[in-house]
Amino acid sequence: MRIRCPYCGERGLEEFTYRGDATVTRPETLDQTAEAAWVDYVYLRDNPAGPHREHWYHGAGCHAWLVVTRDVRTHEILGVELAGGPA
Amino acid sequence: MSETLTARPALAGIALPGRHGTGNGAPGVTLRERTDLGVVAVMARKGQGEALRMAVASAYRATLPDTARYLAGQTVGFVGTGPGQWLAVSASLGGGALAVDLTAKLAGLASVSDQGDGRAVIRIAGPRARDVLAKGLPIDLHPSVFAPGSAATSIISLMGVTLWQVDETPAYDLVVFRSLAVSFWSWLTDSAAEYGYEVVPATN
Repeated sequence: MRIRCPYCGERGLEEFTYRGDATVTRPETLDQTAEAAWVDYVYLRDNPAGPHREHWYHGAGCHAWLVVTRDVRTHEILGVELAGGPA
Repeated sequence: MSETLTARPALAGIALPGRHGTGNGAPGVTLRERTDLGVVAVMARKGQGEALRMAVASAYRATLPDTARYLAGQTVGFVGTGPGQWLAVSASLGGGALAVDLTAKLAGLASVSDQGDGRAVIRIAGPRARDVLAKGLPIDLHPSVFAPGSAATSIISLMGVTLWQVDETPAYDLVVFRSLAVSFWSWLTDSAAEYGYEVVPATN
């Protein structure tokens, strides 16, 4: 599998580390009222058969965090963007 | 009694000048440690990208590359190492001088961190330089995609390396962490041995 890093260009998988689901959003508050939202954020994951958005870290290259859209059935990469937006 | 510490090249006593490897004709590559360079990491502060660009242009007559490229200025060159991150390299502002200069001129715009004693820089040049690097570097150095001024940060034999092409000889500058310099040298000379290589005395 090869990932086209927006900064470095196409690189092999050995340069990247998978850092988890990019579709979940951290709850705004630490209040007790948000407990269900926190459980969802920390533990609950969808398991889609098809395109999925994931965080990848380009640790052996530009050290950028990326959001990679990948079809988990075929490993086809449908899109890569910087997680922090354009620098 | 106090001990005086003196700067010592990373490959002193390791990179022995002379002709090594296969054959005794013209070497496939020459290798030289570049010493006494200023090497400094520069990282843009949040929202200061444009102001930083202008400050670098006026202070060093240099352009900060937006991508992985090496752009030479008057006395300082800048290599793109990541979004909003660069390695500043200078042969004339050696020792700690480059970091002091950048810190003063880019105050408030960028975080500046001296890497001069933490990195080793090796120049590889010659007709077989691509073949030597290709055995470990997982990126394409073919002239159609990697030309003078092109730069990359990647890994060779599990060691992080930042490199850029200097000219069409081809020559490349390789930057590795100093603590890995001897291991990297071992890989590099192993890879170069079949083409024959000449070690040139270290200079900046």
